[in-house]
Amino acid sequence: MQVRVKLLGTLPSLYPSDYSEAGLQLELPDSTTVAELVGVLGIPPERVAIVTINGVLARAGDRIPENGLVKLMHGLAGG
Amino acid sequence: MRFLRVNMTDLTVQDEPVPERYRDIGGRGLTSILVNDEVPADCDPLGPNNKLVFAPGFFTGTQLVNTSRLSVGGKSPLTGGIKESNVGGTVAYALAKLGIAAVVVEGKVAKPESCYQLIIDQDGGAQLQECSRFCGMRTYALVEELRKIHGEKKSITCIGPAGEMQLLAASIQSTDLDGRPCRAAGRGGLGAVMGAKGLKALVVDRGGRNAIELADPETFKTAAKSFAQAVKADEFSGKILPELGTAALVEPINAAGAFPTCNARSGQFAGAEKISGESLAAMIKERGGQTTHKGCAQCIIDCSNVVVNKNGEYVTSSLEYETIWAMGGMIGNDDLDAIARLDFLCDDIGLDTMSTGVAIGIAMDAGYRQFGDSAAAIALVEEVATGSEIGRVIGNGPDAVGRHFNHGRVPTVKGQSIAAYDPRALQGMAVTYATTPMGGDHTAGWVVAQNLEAFGGTINPHEAEGQVELSRGSQIHMAAVDSVGICDFAQSGLATPEGMENVRKMYSARIGKPFAEDSWPELGERVLRAERDFNRKAGFTAKDDHLPSMFYTEPLPPYNVVVKVTDEEMENTFQF
Repeated sequence: MQVRVKLLGTLPSLYPSDYSEAGLQLELPDSTTVAELVGVLGIPPERVAIVTINGVLARAGDRIPENGLVKLMHGLAGG
Repeated sequence: MRFLRVNMTDLTVQDEPVPERYRDIGGRGLTSILVNDEVPADCDPLGPNNKLVFAPGFFTGTQLVNTSRLSVGGKSPLTGGIKESNVGGTVAYALAKLGIAAVVVEGKVAKPESCYQLIIDQDGGAQLQECSRFCGMRTYALVEELRKIHGEKKSITCIGPAGEMQLLAASIQSTDLDGRPCRAAGRGGLGAVMGAKGLKALVVDRGGRNAIELADPETFKTAAKSFAQAVKADEFSGKILPELGTAALVEPINAAGAFPTCNARSGQFAGAEKISGESLAAMIKERGGQTTHKGCAQCIIDCSNVVVNKNGEYVTSSLEYETIWAMGGMIGNDDLDAIARLDFLCDDIGLDTMSTGVAIGIAMDAGYRQFGDSAAAIALVEEVATGSEIGRVIGNGPDAVGRHFNHGRVPTVKGQSIAAYDPRALQGMAVTYATTPMGGDHTAGWVVAQNLEAFGGTINPHEAEGQVELSRGSQIHMAAVDSVGICDFAQSGLATPEGMENVRKMYSARIGKPFAEDSWPELGERVLRAERDFNRKAGFTAKDDHLPSMFYTEPLPPYNVVVKVTDEEMENTFQF
């Protein structure tokens, strides 16, 4: 299935390959989970704090739908 | 260290040694305890009996990084309660290096049409000078004039027309390292208090050489070095904030459905990506502005920025997350250029961007203008400076706008607007907004991260469980942080295993007495006790520790949640 992925904050610098602001278009096995996607991307999981699928908060075990837009975000601090 | 007592009634300035009671405390602790001791809680906040206190943090002026925070305290005309409003820039460091622990402004000028500047020279000498020719002047023009007169190496803290008109959303603006009045003690309408007293500006020499007395300089130095290393090593303060600024929060908070949009009718803004930290940084870089900009003395984070227009000309500086929300999502505006212009106008007129943005959002919600109409928002802020009827309504903040339009959807607590975290989607923030003595205030107990650990977090942001304890602990901690003057964003220095121990060592090295593990929460509690005591004397009761009904009755899209923390739980957050 096709999935679109956007990396925010400092996560692009942790992605081992080239990353453009438009994001990544990936071919993944059906029912890939968020945790599996993070593994495919090669980004250390502990650096990913917030994930959304189609704008809704997701957890590590959530499955990504066909043509889903996944945003991966950094941790937060401050105020 | 000493106090400067500035009496605006008889136009005198007196030096006094710091009284014993205040020797071991600074920043918010000093302003709040002194205000509770000396200001009659039932006084008119714009009258002669209120006092306006400027106090650097207890660690400000030492070699500890990121401690250039100034607490400004007094009775708030916006909330009717005690207020501490916090600002960075250069003034706190300048005062501390002159050996000044607090400037206490008392009384009120006899002639309301006159105004004065307080000039503090390189030797710490201070005098009031009449400067009525500057009455009505906006802050950028004022600072330019004052720098011509007094020289470049001055820190200037001032009010604009909003403060002079004593409007309740008036800020106190302070200059950054580039000399621009872009840093704001925005909250609580303390600009109106300064205006009521007839004080237009503090001009403080930045050449002071007073060494902060340390009982154990070596221990302090070692702990301060370890603290700085932790701030640099942390991903958020060491990498994300320098690259993206606080605007880095737009996407994550929007993702959490906690980005109050169109006067908090939704928790997600369709235009969030256009106004995100990533978009802002890309725009700034493309046009030749500055990300990774140092706004405050002694800063090693550099979260500030300089925004320029398409021609590369200066628009504003230190455009921050809360402003991007208030002038963006809250009014349905996804135009970064308009947000930057609104930020500049608020700094220039001397207005809190948050109270002003929320005020405009309420006016739009009431149908006075359309959500997303950024030109109308700019026109409304300009109206404030003219002193027109609608301008004064907007300049008096959200409650005034609600009353004017007879519109009930007003997201304020104790008269002060909430910040850029909807309390329905982050229930810990509901507790903070409701129970802090400051009124709706995010910095008093920022519990967002603990509510947003998407990978294995322990607190469910949509449920009440654990939120009261979380907020209480954070509020006590923050009262202590605000007292030592550590920047919010340098709290990564406290988060390491040895972080709090470093702070205790520095406190002990500063005062020459033991500072035990319990001493830190005791410090925070001491400050909160004074603040709650003042508010009680001012007439506040447990019933004031509630949120407006909209947060309990209107489910917030997209997660359709309401605040579940009960009134009783709110009222019992503090047992003192």
